Amino acid sequence: MKQIRMTKNSSFSLISTKKIIQMNDVSTSYDSKNFALKEINLSIDRGTNYSIVGQSGSGKSTLLKLMNAMMIPSDGIIKIDYIKPDMNDKKFKIMMHKIGYIPQNLGLIKNISVLENILIGALPRLNKIQSFLKKFPEHEIKEAKKIINQVGLTGKEDRKAHMLSGGEKRRVAIARALMQKPTILLADEIVSELDHVTAREIMDLITDAQKRMNLTAIMVHHDMKLALEYANRVAVIKEGKKILEIGVEGDNIVDFQTGDMTNDEIMEMYSDDPKK
Amino acid sequence: MTPKNNIIIGIIIGLLVIASYNVDVSPIDFVEGLPNLMIVFEEMIAVEPKYIPTALWAMFETIQMAFIGTVIGIVIALPLSLLAARNLNSKFVYAPIRAFLAAIRTFPSILWALLFVIMVGSGTFAGVLAIIMYTVGFIAKLQYEAIETIDSDPMDAVGSIGVSKVQLISYVVIPESASHLLSQMLYMFDYNIRQTSILGLVGAGGIGFYIINYIKFFEYGKAAIFMLVVLITVLAIDWASVRIRDKYIIKSQHGMEITTK
Repeated sequence: MKQIRMTKNSSFSLISTKKIIQMNDVSTSYDSKNFALKEINLSIDRGTNYSIVGQSGSGKSTLLKLMNAMMIPSDGIIKIDYIKPDMNDKKFKIMMHKIGYIPQNLGLIKNISVLENILIGALPRLNKIQSFLKKFPEHEIKEAKKIINQVGLTGKEDRKAHMLSGGEKRRVAIARALMQKPTILLADEIVSELDHVTAREIMDLITDAQKRMNLTAIMVHHDMKLALEYANRVAVIKEGKKILEIGVEGDNIVDFQTGDMTNDEIMEMYSDDPKK
Repeated sequence: MTPKNNIIIGIIIGLLVIASYNVDVSPIDFVEGLPNLMIVFEEMIAVEPKYIPTALWAMFETIQMAFIGTVIGIVIALPLSLLAARNLNSKFVYAPIRAFLAAIRTFPSILWALLFVIMVGSGTFAGVLAIIMYTVGFIAKLQYEAIETIDSDPMDAVGSIGVSKVQLISYVVIPESASHLLSQMLYMFDYNIRQTSILGLVGAGGIGFYIINYIKFFEYGKAAIFMLVVLITVLAIDWASVRIRDKYIIKSQHGMEITTK
Protein backbone atom coordinates (compact mmCIF):
# COMPACT_ATOMS: atom_id res chain seq x y z
CA MET A 1 0.00 0.00 0.00
CA LYS A 2 1.23 3.43 -0.90
CA GLN A 3 2.06 5.92 1.80
CA ILE A 4 -0.44 8.66 1.39
CA ARG A 5 0.02 12.18 2.61
CA MET A 6 -2.76 14.62 3.06
CA THR A 7 -2.51 17.96 1.33
CA LYS A 8 -5.09 20.71 1.22
CA ASN A 9 -6.47 22.26 -1.95
CA SER A 10 -6.29 22.69 -5.09
CA SER A 11 -5.80 21.70 -8.54
CA PHE A 12 -8.61 24.07 -9.26
CA SER A 13 -6.20 25.61 -11.75
CA LEU A 14 -6.51 22.41 -13.76
CA ILE A 15 -9.83 23.42 -15.23
CA SER A 16 -11.10 20.92 -17.73
CA THR A 17 -12.67 22.22 -20.89
CA LYS A 18 -15.19 19.43 -21.01
CA LYS A 19 -17.46 18.92 -18.08
CA ILE A 20 -19.81 16.05 -18.78
CA ILE A 21 -21.91 16.39 -15.63
CA GLN A 22 -22.68 19.62 -13.85
CA MET A 23 -24.90 20.11 -10.84
CA ASN A 24 -25.59 23.42 -9.21
CA ASP A 25 -27.40 23.52 -5.87
CA VAL A 26 -29.40 20.44 -6.71
CA SER A 27 -31.95 19.26 -4.17
CA THR A 28 -34.53 16.53 -4.33
CA SER A 29 -37.55 15.91 -2.22
CA TYR A 30 -37.95 12.73 -0.24
CA ASP A 31 -40.23 10.03 -1.53
CA SER A 32 -40.86 6.48 -0.37
CA LYS A 33 -38.11 5.03 -2.54
CA ASN A 34 -35.39 7.65 -2.62
CA PHE A 35 -33.50 9.64 -0.05
CA ALA A 36 -33.47 13.39 -0.33
CA LEU A 37 -30.46 15.41 -1.44
CA LYS A 38 -29.64 18.92 -0.30
CA GLU A 39 -27.89 21.53 -2.43
CA ILE A 40 -25.44 19.29 -4.21
CA ASN A 41 -22.74 20.93 -6.29
CA LEU A 42 -20.52 18.84 -8.42
CA SER A 43 -18.89 18.70 -11.79
CA ILE A 44 -17.42 15.66 -13.44
CA ASP A 45 -14.83 15.69 -16.19
CA ARG A 46 -15.35 13.71 -19.36
CA GLY A 47 -13.45 10.43 -19.49
CA THR A 48 -12.77 10.19 -15.78
CA ASN A 49 -13.60 7.68 -13.14
CA TYR A 50 -15.74 9.27 -10.45
CA SER A 51 -16.97 7.63 -7.29
CA ILE A 52 -19.72 8.57 -4.89
CA VAL A 53 -19.29 7.14 -1.42
CA GLY A 54 -21.68 7.15 1.48
CA GLN A 55 -23.54 4.96 3.88
CA SER A 56 -26.90 3.47 3.08
CA GLY A 57 -29.59 6.08 3.25
CA SER A 58 -27.17 8.90 2.49
CA GLY A 59 -28.79 9.66 -0.87
CA LYS A 60 -25.96 8.41 -3.07
CA SER A 61 -28.20 6.27 -5.28
CA THR A 62 -30.56 9.20 -5.68
CA LEU A 63 -27.64 11.23 -6.98
CA LEU A 64 -27.00 8.60 -9.63
CA LYS A 65 -30.64 8.54 -10.70
CA LEU A 66 -30.53 12.29 -11.32
CA MET A 67 -27.92 11.69 -13.99
CA ASN A 68 -30.19 9.70 -16.30
CA ALA A 69 -33.44 11.51 -15.63
CA MET A 70 -34.87 8.67 -13.57
CA MET A 71 -35.36 11.36 -10.97
CA ILE A 72 -36.02 15.03 -11.43
CA PRO A 73 -34.58 17.55 -8.95
CA SER A 74 -36.99 19.71 -6.99
CA ASP A 75 -34.45 22.50 -7.07
CA GLY A 76 -31.23 23.46 -8.82
CA ILE A 77 -29.76 22.87 -12.25
CA ILE A 78 -28.36 19.70 -13.77
CA LYS A 79 -26.65 19.52 -17.12
CA ILE A 80 -25.59 16.25 -18.68
CA ASP A 81 -23.24 17.06 -21.52
CA TYR A 82 -24.79 20.53 -21.44
CA ILE A 83 -28.34 19.22 -21.78
CA LYS A 84 -30.95 19.30 -19.04
CA PRO A 85 -32.07 15.73 -18.26
CA ASP A 86 -35.71 15.24 -19.16
CA MET A 87 -37.25 12.00 -20.43
CA ASN A 88 -39.76 13.87 -22.54
CA ASP A 89 -37.10 15.83 -24.35
CA LYS A 90 -36.12 14.21 -27.65
CA LYS A 91 -32.57 15.48 -27.44
CA PHE A 92 -32.06 14.00 -24.00
CA LYS A 93 -33.78 10.77 -24.98
CA ILE A 94 -31.13 10.28 -27.66
CA MET A 95 -28.49 10.97 -25.06
CA MET A 96 -30.04 8.32 -22.78
CA HIS A 97 -29.21 5.72 -25.42
CA LYS A 98 -25.59 6.34 -24.49
CA ILE A 99 -25.93 6.39 -20.74
CA GLY A 100 -25.43 2.91 -19.34
CA TYR A 101 -27.11 2.39 -15.98
CA ILE A 102 -26.54 -0.63 -13.76
CA PRO A 103 -28.94 -0.58 -10.79
CA GLN A 104 -27.96 -2.16 -7.50
CA ASN A 105 -29.74 -5.43 -8.28
CA LEU A 106 -28.36 -5.29 -11.84
CA GLY A 107 -31.74 -5.43 -13.57
CA LEU A 108 -31.03 -8.49 -15.70
CA ILE A 109 -33.96 -10.33 -17.21
CA LYS A 110 -33.67 -13.69 -15.56
CA ASN A 111 -35.45 -15.99 -17.99
CA ILE A 112 -33.51 -15.01 -21.10
CA SER A 113 -29.97 -15.84 -22.13
CA VAL A 114 -26.77 -13.90 -21.53
CA LEU A 115 -26.61 -12.94 -25.22
CA GLU A 116 -30.24 -11.75 -25.26
CA ASN A 117 -29.68 -9.69 -22.13
CA ILE A 118 -26.64 -8.03 -23.64
CA LEU A 119 -28.35 -7.33 -26.97
CA ILE A 120 -30.90 -5.19 -25.13
CA GLY A 121 -28.16 -2.54 -25.03
CA ALA A 122 -28.50 -2.30 -28.81
CA LEU A 123 -32.29 -1.80 -28.76
CA PRO A 124 -32.20 1.93 -29.53
CA ARG A 125 -30.30 1.16 -32.75
CA LEU A 126 -32.95 -1.20 -34.14
CA ASN A 127 -35.62 -0.06 -36.54
CA LYS A 128 -39.27 -0.77 -35.76
CA ILE A 129 -39.49 -3.97 -37.79
CA GLN A 130 -36.30 -5.46 -36.37
CA SER A 131 -37.45 -4.53 -32.89
CA PHE A 132 -40.89 -6.07 -33.39
CA LEU A 133 -39.48 -9.31 -34.78
CA LYS A 134 -36.72 -9.36 -32.14
CA LYS A 135 -34.31 -9.77 -35.04
CA PHE A 136 -30.96 -8.18 -34.28
CA PRO A 137 -28.74 -7.48 -37.28
CA GLU A 138 -25.67 -9.68 -37.76
CA HIS A 139 -23.20 -6.90 -36.91
CA GLU A 140 -24.91 -6.28 -33.56
CA ILE A 141 -24.70 -9.96 -32.65
CA LYS A 142 -21.02 -9.89 -33.64
CA GLU A 143 -20.50 -6.82 -31.47
CA ALA A 144 -22.29 -8.50 -28.55
CA LYS A 145 -20.05 -11.56 -28.90
CA LYS A 146 -16.98 -9.32 -28.95
CA ILE A 147 -18.13 -7.71 -25.70
CA ILE A 148 -18.94 -11.12 -24.20
CA ASN A 149 -15.34 -12.01 -24.89
CA GLN A 150 -14.07 -8.78 -23.33
CA VAL A 151 -16.00 -9.34 -20.12
CA GLY A 152 -14.87 -12.96 -19.96
CA LEU A 153 -18.16 -14.74 -20.55
CA THR A 154 -17.24 -16.64 -23.72
CA GLY A 155 -18.99 -19.99 -23.81
CA LYS A 156 -21.79 -18.79 -21.56
CA GLU A 157 -23.78 -16.87 -24.21
CA ASP A 158 -26.71 -19.24 -24.06
CA ARG A 159 -26.94 -19.61 -20.30
CA LYS A 160 -30.04 -18.17 -18.69
CA ALA A 161 -29.16 -15.11 -16.61
CA HIS A 162 -30.53 -16.56 -13.38
CA MET A 163 -28.17 -19.52 -13.61
CA LEU A 164 -25.02 -17.38 -13.36
CA SER A 165 -22.89 -16.59 -10.33
CA GLY A 166 -22.90 -13.14 -8.74
CA GLY A 167 -19.69 -12.13 -10.49
CA GLU A 168 -20.92 -13.40 -13.84
CA LYS A 169 -24.22 -11.55 -13.49
CA ARG A 170 -22.28 -8.34 -12.96
CA ARG A 171 -20.28 -9.04 -16.10
CA VAL A 172 -23.53 -9.41 -18.05
CA ALA A 173 -24.84 -6.12 -16.67
CA ILE A 174 -21.58 -4.39 -17.63
CA ALA A 175 -21.68 -5.96 -21.09
CA ARG A 176 -25.26 -4.77 -21.61
CA ALA A 177 -24.19 -1.23 -20.71
CA LEU A 178 -21.12 -1.46 -23.01
CA MET A 179 -23.40 -2.67 -25.80
CA GLN A 180 -24.99 0.79 -25.69
CA LYS A 181 -21.61 2.21 -26.81
CA PRO A 182 -21.95 4.52 -23.83
CA THR A 183 -20.32 7.83 -23.10
CA ILE A 184 -21.38 7.60 -19.45
CA LEU A 185 -21.58 4.50 -17.31
CA LEU A 186 -23.52 4.70 -14.05
CA ALA A 187 -23.18 1.80 -11.60
CA ASP A 188 -24.89 1.57 -8.24
CA GLU A 189 -22.92 -0.48 -5.68
CA ILE A 190 -21.95 -3.01 -8.28
CA VAL A 191 -19.33 -4.73 -6.11
CA SER A 192 -20.80 -4.35 -2.61
CA GLU A 193 -21.89 -7.93 -2.24
CA LEU A 194 -18.82 -9.54 -3.77
CA ASP A 195 -15.72 -11.01 -2.17
CA HIS A 196 -12.42 -9.09 -2.45
CA VAL A 197 -11.04 -10.94 -5.46
CA THR A 198 -14.21 -10.83 -7.53
CA ALA A 199 -14.83 -7.19 -6.59
CA ARG A 200 -11.39 -6.25 -7.92
CA GLU A 201 -11.92 -8.26 -11.11
CA ILE A 202 -15.16 -6.37 -11.74
CA MET A 203 -13.56 -3.00 -10.94
CA ASP A 204 -10.64 -3.78 -13.26
CA LEU A 205 -13.08 -4.70 -15.99
CA ILE A 206 -14.93 -1.41 -15.68
CA THR A 207 -11.72 0.61 -15.44
CA ASP A 208 -10.31 -1.09 -18.56
CA ALA A 209 -13.47 -0.35 -20.50
CA GLN A 210 -13.56 3.20 -19.18
CA LYS A 211 -10.04 3.87 -20.42
CA ARG A 212 -10.39 1.98 -23.69
CA MET A 213 -13.66 3.63 -24.67
CA ASN A 214 -12.83 6.94 -23.00
CA LEU A 215 -16.13 6.90 -21.20
CA THR A 216 -17.03 8.56 -17.96
CA ALA A 217 -17.61 6.02 -15.22
CA ILE A 218 -19.63 7.19 -12.24
CA MET A 219 -19.91 4.59 -9.53
CA VAL A 220 -21.58 4.48 -6.17
CA HIS A 221 -19.70 2.59 -3.43
CA HIS A 222 -19.75 2.28 0.25
CA ASP A 223 -16.16 1.15 0.49
CA MET A 224 -13.95 4.25 0.57
CA LYS A 225 -10.74 2.29 0.09
CA LEU A 226 -11.94 0.65 -3.10
CA ALA A 227 -13.30 3.94 -4.41
CA LEU A 228 -10.01 5.77 -3.88
CA GLU A 229 -8.07 2.94 -5.44
CA TYR A 230 -9.89 3.19 -8.75
CA ALA A 231 -11.45 6.62 -9.01
CA ASN A 232 -9.90 9.90 -10.07
CA ARG A 233 -12.20 11.63 -7.65
CA VAL A 234 -14.42 10.59 -4.80
CA ALA A 235 -17.38 12.55 -3.49
CA VAL A 236 -18.60 11.70 -0.02
CA ILE A 237 -22.32 12.03 0.64
CA LYS A 238 -23.74 12.14 4.12
CA GLU A 239 -27.38 12.72 4.95
CA GLY A 240 -28.08 14.13 1.52
CA LYS A 241 -25.18 16.56 1.49
CA LYS A 242 -21.86 16.39 -0.30
CA ILE A 243 -19.45 16.78 2.56
CA LEU A 244 -16.22 16.13 0.77
CA GLU A 245 -14.59 15.67 -2.61
CA ILE A 246 -11.17 14.15 -2.73
CA GLY A 247 -8.83 12.57 -5.22
CA VAL A 248 -5.50 10.82 -5.28
CA GLU A 249 -2.78 12.61 -7.18
CA GLY A 250 0.52 10.82 -7.07
CA ASP A 251 1.04 10.01 -3.42
CA ASN A 252 -1.28 12.69 -2.13
CA ILE A 253 -4.93 12.75 -1.30
CA VAL A 254 -6.10 16.12 -2.49
CA ASP A 255 -9.10 17.82 -0.98
CA PHE A 256 -11.11 19.48 -3.72
CA GLN A 257 -13.73 20.86 -1.47
CA THR A 258 -13.13 22.39 1.88
CA GLY A 259 -15.85 20.57 3.63
CA ASP A 260 -16.99 20.05 7.15
CA MET A 261 -14.52 17.27 7.76
CA THR A 262 -11.09 17.53 9.28
CA ASN A 263 -8.11 15.86 7.67
CA ASP A 264 -8.00 13.35 10.48
CA GLU A 265 -11.57 12.32 9.81
CA ILE A 266 -10.82 11.85 6.14
CA MET A 267 -7.82 9.70 6.90
CA GLU A 268 -9.89 7.73 9.33
CA MET A 269 -12.49 7.06 6.67
CA TYR A 270 -9.75 5.97 4.33
CA SER A 271 -8.24 3.47 6.71
CA ASP A 272 -11.45 2.41 8.35
CA ASP A 273 -13.19 -0.26 6.40
CA PRO A 274 -16.24 -1.37 8.32
CA LYS A 275 -16.97 -4.34 6.09
CA LYS A 276 -13.65 -6.14 6.47
CA MET B 1 -61.33 -20.97 25.75
CA THR B 2 -62.12 -17.38 26.64
CA PRO B 3 -65.68 -16.09 27.15
CA LYS B 4 -65.22 -13.96 24.02
CA ASN B 5 -64.54 -17.07 21.93
CA ASN B 6 -67.59 -18.77 23.42
CA ILE B 7 -69.78 -15.87 22.36
CA ILE B 8 -68.39 -15.98 18.81
CA ILE B 9 -68.93 -19.74 18.56
CA GLY B 10 -72.45 -19.29 19.96
CA ILE B 11 -73.24 -16.64 17.33
CA ILE B 12 -71.94 -18.85 14.52
CA ILE B 13 -74.06 -21.81 15.70
CA GLY B 14 -77.10 -19.53 15.98
CA LEU B 15 -76.61 -18.22 12.45
CA LEU B 16 -76.16 -21.77 11.18
CA VAL B 17 -79.49 -22.84 12.65
CA ILE B 18 -81.36 -19.80 11.32
CA ALA B 19 -79.85 -20.11 7.84
CA SER B 20 -80.55 -23.86 7.73
CA TYR B 21 -84.17 -23.26 8.66
CA ASN B 22 -84.48 -20.58 5.96
CA VAL B 23 -83.09 -22.77 3.20
CA ASP B 24 -84.73 -26.01 4.33
CA VAL B 25 -81.60 -27.87 5.36
CA SER B 26 -83.04 -31.01 6.89
CA PRO B 27 -80.95 -33.96 8.16
CA ILE B 28 -84.10 -36.09 8.31
CA ASP B 29 -84.80 -35.63 4.60
CA PHE B 30 -81.19 -36.53 3.90
CA VAL B 31 -81.38 -39.81 5.78
CA GLU B 32 -84.79 -40.66 4.30
CA GLY B 33 -83.42 -39.94 0.82
CA LEU B 34 -80.48 -42.32 1.07
CA PRO B 35 -82.40 -45.32 -0.34
CA ASN B 36 -83.13 -43.23 -3.49
CA LEU B 37 -79.39 -42.77 -3.96
CA MET B 38 -78.97 -46.53 -3.71
CA ILE B 39 -81.47 -47.02 -6.53
CA VAL B 40 -79.51 -44.57 -8.69
CA PHE B 41 -76.27 -46.38 -7.89
CA GLU B 42 -77.76 -49.75 -8.73
CA GLU B 43 -78.89 -48.45 -12.09
CA MET B 44 -75.57 -46.78 -12.67
CA ILE B 45 -73.71 -50.03 -12.14
CA ALA B 46 -75.70 -51.47 -15.04
CA VAL B 47 -73.52 -49.52 -17.48
CA GLU B 48 -74.04 -49.90 -21.18
CA PRO B 49 -70.60 -50.31 -22.77
CA LYS B 50 -71.85 -49.58 -26.28
CA TYR B 51 -72.07 -45.91 -25.29
CA ILE B 52 -68.37 -45.69 -24.50
CA PRO B 53 -67.35 -44.45 -27.99
CA THR B 54 -70.05 -41.75 -27.85
CA ALA B 55 -68.90 -40.72 -24.39
CA LEU B 56 -65.26 -40.54 -25.53
CA TRP B 57 -66.23 -38.48 -28.54
CA ALA B 58 -68.29 -36.12 -26.35
CA MET B 59 -65.32 -35.75 -24.02
CA PHE B 60 -63.03 -35.05 -26.97
CA GLU B 61 -65.47 -32.38 -28.13
CA THR B 62 -65.46 -30.90 -24.63
CA ILE B 63 -61.65 -30.79 -24.55
CA GLN B 64 -61.61 -29.08 -27.95
CA MET B 65 -64.13 -26.49 -26.74
CA ALA B 66 -62.02 -25.84 -23.65
CA PHE B 67 -58.89 -25.61 -25.79
CA ILE B 68 -60.35 -23.06 -28.22
CA GLY B 69 -61.88 -21.06 -25.36
CA THR B 70 -58.63 -21.03 -23.40
CA VAL B 71 -56.41 -20.06 -26.34
CA ILE B 72 -58.65 -17.31 -27.68
CA GLY B 73 -59.41 -16.10 -24.16
CA ILE B 74 -55.70 -15.76 -23.42
CA VAL B 75 -55.04 -13.98 -26.71
CA ILE B 76 -57.69 -11.41 -25.77
CA ALA B 77 -56.63 -11.26 -22.11
CA LEU B 78 -52.95 -10.47 -22.70
CA PRO B 79 -53.28 -7.02 -24.25
CA LEU B 80 -55.96 -6.19 -21.69
CA SER B 81 -53.63 -7.22 -18.85
CA LEU B 82 -50.91 -4.92 -20.21
CA LEU B 83 -53.41 -2.06 -20.23
CA ALA B 84 -54.65 -2.91 -16.74
CA ALA B 85 -51.21 -2.99 -15.07
CA ARG B 86 -50.68 -0.01 -12.80
CA ASN B 87 -46.93 0.09 -13.32
CA LEU B 88 -47.32 0.55 -17.09
CA ASN B 89 -50.26 2.91 -17.49
CA SER B 90 -51.88 6.01 -16.16
CA LYS B 91 -54.99 5.81 -13.99
CA PHE B 92 -57.18 6.81 -16.92
CA VAL B 93 -56.17 3.70 -18.81
CA TYR B 94 -56.01 1.03 -16.14
CA ALA B 95 -59.07 2.03 -14.08
CA PRO B 96 -61.73 1.51 -16.79
CA ILE B 97 -60.07 -1.69 -18.03
CA ARG B 98 -60.02 -3.08 -14.50
CA ALA B 99 -63.67 -2.19 -14.00
CA PHE B 100 -64.52 -3.96 -17.26
CA LEU B 101 -62.58 -7.06 -16.23
CA ALA B 102 -64.21 -7.08 -12.80
CA ALA B 103 -67.62 -6.90 -14.47
CA ILE B 104 -66.78 -9.89 -16.69
CA ARG B 105 -65.69 -11.90 -13.67
CA THR B 106 -68.92 -11.39 -11.74
CA PHE B 107 -70.70 -13.96 -13.97
CA PRO B 108 -69.80 -17.62 -13.60
CA SER B 109 -69.28 -19.38 -16.91
CA ILE B 110 -72.66 -21.09 -16.77
CA LEU B 111 -74.42 -17.70 -16.81
CA TRP B 112 -72.30 -16.60 -19.74
CA ALA B 113 -73.31 -19.86 -21.45
CA LEU B 114 -77.00 -19.10 -20.89
CA LEU B 115 -76.53 -15.66 -22.36
CA PHE B 116 -74.72 -17.00 -25.43
CA VAL B 117 -77.30 -19.77 -25.94
CA ILE B 118 -79.85 -16.98 -26.28
CA MET B 119 -77.53 -15.07 -28.59
CA VAL B 120 -76.19 -17.75 -30.96
CA GLY B 121 -78.51 -20.66 -30.20
CA SER B 122 -77.77 -23.81 -28.24
CA GLY B 123 -74.69 -25.84 -29.14
CA THR B 124 -70.97 -25.95 -28.71
CA PHE B 125 -70.31 -22.45 -30.06
CA ALA B 126 -72.24 -20.86 -27.18
CA GLY B 127 -70.10 -22.92 -24.81
CA VAL B 128 -66.86 -21.80 -26.46
CA LEU B 129 -67.93 -18.15 -26.17
CA ALA B 130 -68.73 -18.63 -22.49
CA ILE B 131 -65.30 -20.15 -21.85
CA ILE B 132 -63.64 -17.27 -23.71
CA MET B 133 -65.38 -14.70 -21.52
CA TYR B 134 -64.50 -16.51 -18.35
CA THR B 135 -60.88 -16.96 -19.41
CA VAL B 136 -60.51 -13.30 -20.38
CA GLY B 137 -61.75 -12.15 -16.98
CA PHE B 138 -59.48 -14.41 -15.00
CA ILE B 139 -56.29 -14.59 -17.04
CA ALA B 140 -56.25 -10.80 -17.48
CA LYS B 141 -56.52 -10.35 -13.72
CA LEU B 142 -53.89 -12.97 -12.86
CA GLN B 143 -51.59 -11.59 -15.51
CA TYR B 144 -51.85 -7.90 -14.58
CA GLU B 145 -51.13 -8.91 -11.02
CA ALA B 146 -48.08 -10.83 -12.24
CA ILE B 147 -46.94 -7.80 -14.27
CA GLU B 148 -47.32 -5.55 -11.26
CA THR B 149 -45.12 -7.78 -9.15
CA ILE B 150 -42.21 -8.00 -11.58
CA ASP B 151 -38.96 -6.61 -10.34
CA SER B 152 -38.62 -2.88 -10.97
CA ASP B 153 -34.87 -3.15 -11.55
CA PRO B 154 -34.96 -4.59 -15.08
CA MET B 155 -37.60 -2.00 -15.94
CA ASP B 156 -35.39 0.78 -14.58
CA ALA B 157 -32.24 -0.54 -16.22
CA VAL B 158 -33.80 -0.99 -19.65
CA GLY B 159 -36.14 1.99 -19.37
CA SER B 160 -33.19 4.25 -18.65
CA ILE B 161 -31.65 3.34 -22.02
CA GLY B 162 -34.43 5.42 -23.51
CA VAL B 163 -36.26 2.59 -25.28
CA SER B 164 -39.87 2.93 -26.38
CA LYS B 165 -42.73 1.64 -24.28
CA VAL B 166 -43.48 -1.08 -26.81
CA GLN B 167 -39.88 -2.24 -26.59
CA LEU B 168 -40.01 -2.16 -22.80
CA ILE B 169 -43.09 -4.38 -22.87
CA SER B 170 -41.84 -6.87 -25.41
CA TYR B 171 -38.26 -7.11 -24.12
CA VAL B 172 -38.76 -6.81 -20.35
CA VAL B 173 -42.36 -7.11 -19.18
CA ILE B 174 -43.35 -10.13 -21.24
CA PRO B 175 -40.18 -12.20 -20.64
CA GLU B 176 -40.23 -11.34 -16.94
CA SER B 177 -43.85 -12.38 -16.51
CA ALA B 178 -43.74 -15.31 -18.95
CA SER B 179 -43.15 -18.01 -16.37
CA HIS B 180 -46.29 -16.95 -14.52
CA LEU B 181 -48.23 -16.95 -17.76
CA LEU B 182 -47.24 -20.53 -18.62
CA SER B 183 -48.49 -21.88 -15.34
CA GLN B 184 -51.66 -19.80 -15.53
CA MET B 185 -52.40 -21.08 -19.04
CA LEU B 186 -52.06 -24.63 -17.86
CA TYR B 187 -54.23 -24.03 -14.82
CA MET B 188 -56.86 -22.29 -16.92
CA PHE B 189 -57.01 -25.10 -19.49
CA ASP B 190 -57.33 -27.66 -16.73
CA TYR B 191 -60.08 -25.60 -15.08
CA ASN B 192 -61.88 -24.91 -18.35
CA ILE B 193 -62.19 -28.62 -19.12
CA ARG B 194 -64.08 -29.11 -15.84
CA GLN B 195 -66.23 -26.07 -16.59
CA THR B 196 -66.99 -27.09 -20.16
CA SER B 197 -68.14 -30.47 -18.86
CA ILE B 198 -71.09 -28.81 -17.15
CA LEU B 199 -71.97 -26.16 -19.75
CA GLY B 200 -74.16 -28.73 -21.51
CA LEU B 201 -76.62 -28.33 -18.62
CA VAL B 202 -77.80 -25.10 -20.21
CA GLY B 203 -77.52 -26.38 -23.75
CA ALA B 204 -74.10 -25.02 -24.54
CA GLY B 205 -72.63 -28.28 -25.87
CA GLY B 206 -70.02 -30.62 -24.49
CA ILE B 207 -70.33 -33.83 -22.52
CA GLY B 208 -72.64 -32.24 -19.93
CA PHE B 209 -75.38 -32.11 -22.54
CA TYR B 210 -75.52 -35.92 -22.63
CA ILE B 211 -75.29 -36.26 -18.87
CA ILE B 212 -78.18 -33.90 -18.16
CA ASN B 213 -80.40 -35.48 -20.82
CA TYR B 214 -79.84 -39.07 -19.67
CA ILE B 215 -80.49 -38.04 -16.09
CA LYS B 216 -83.68 -36.26 -17.10
CA PHE B 217 -84.93 -39.46 -18.70
CA PHE B 218 -83.80 -41.58 -15.73
CA GLU B 219 -81.20 -43.42 -17.82
CA TYR B 220 -78.64 -43.51 -15.06
CA GLY B 221 -76.62 -46.32 -16.62
CA LYS B 222 -75.89 -44.25 -19.67
CA ALA B 223 -75.23 -41.10 -17.64
CA ALA B 224 -72.79 -43.08 -15.49
CA ILE B 225 -70.54 -43.85 -18.45
CA PHE B 226 -70.31 -40.21 -19.39
CA MET B 227 -69.64 -39.20 -15.80
CA LEU B 228 -66.95 -41.83 -15.51
CA VAL B 229 -65.26 -40.52 -18.66
CA VAL B 230 -65.30 -36.98 -17.20
CA LEU B 231 -63.82 -38.25 -13.95
CA ILE B 232 -61.00 -40.15 -15.63
CA THR B 233 -60.22 -37.29 -18.02
CA VAL B 234 -60.09 -34.67 -15.28
CA LEU B 235 -57.83 -36.88 -13.16
CA ALA B 236 -55.55 -37.53 -16.13
CA ILE B 237 -55.31 -33.86 -17.00
CA ASP B 238 -54.67 -32.95 -13.40
CA TRP B 239 -51.84 -35.45 -13.25
CA ALA B 240 -50.41 -34.28 -16.58
CA SER B 241 -50.48 -30.62 -15.63
CA VAL B 242 -48.68 -31.26 -12.36
CA ARG B 243 -45.99 -33.08 -14.33
CA ILE B 244 -45.68 -30.30 -16.89
CA ARG B 245 -45.56 -27.65 -14.18
CA ASP B 246 -42.78 -29.47 -12.32
CA LYS B 247 -40.78 -30.20 -15.41
CA TYR B 248 -40.89 -26.88 -17.23
CA ILE B 249 -42.28 -24.10 -15.13
CA ILE B 250 -40.57 -24.63 -11.81
CA LYS B 251 -37.35 -25.27 -13.70
CA SER B 252 -37.65 -22.05 -15.64
CA GLN B 253 -38.43 -20.08 -12.49
CA HIS B 254 -35.74 -21.45 -10.25
CA GLY B 255 -33.25 -23.01 -12.59
CA MET B 256 -33.57 -26.47 -11.11
CA GLU B 257 -35.38 -29.65 -11.72
CA ILE B 258 -37.83 -31.13 -9.28
CA THR B 259 -37.43 -34.86 -8.94
CA THR B 260 -40.52 -36.71 -7.92
CA LYS B 261 -40.11 -39.83 -5.87
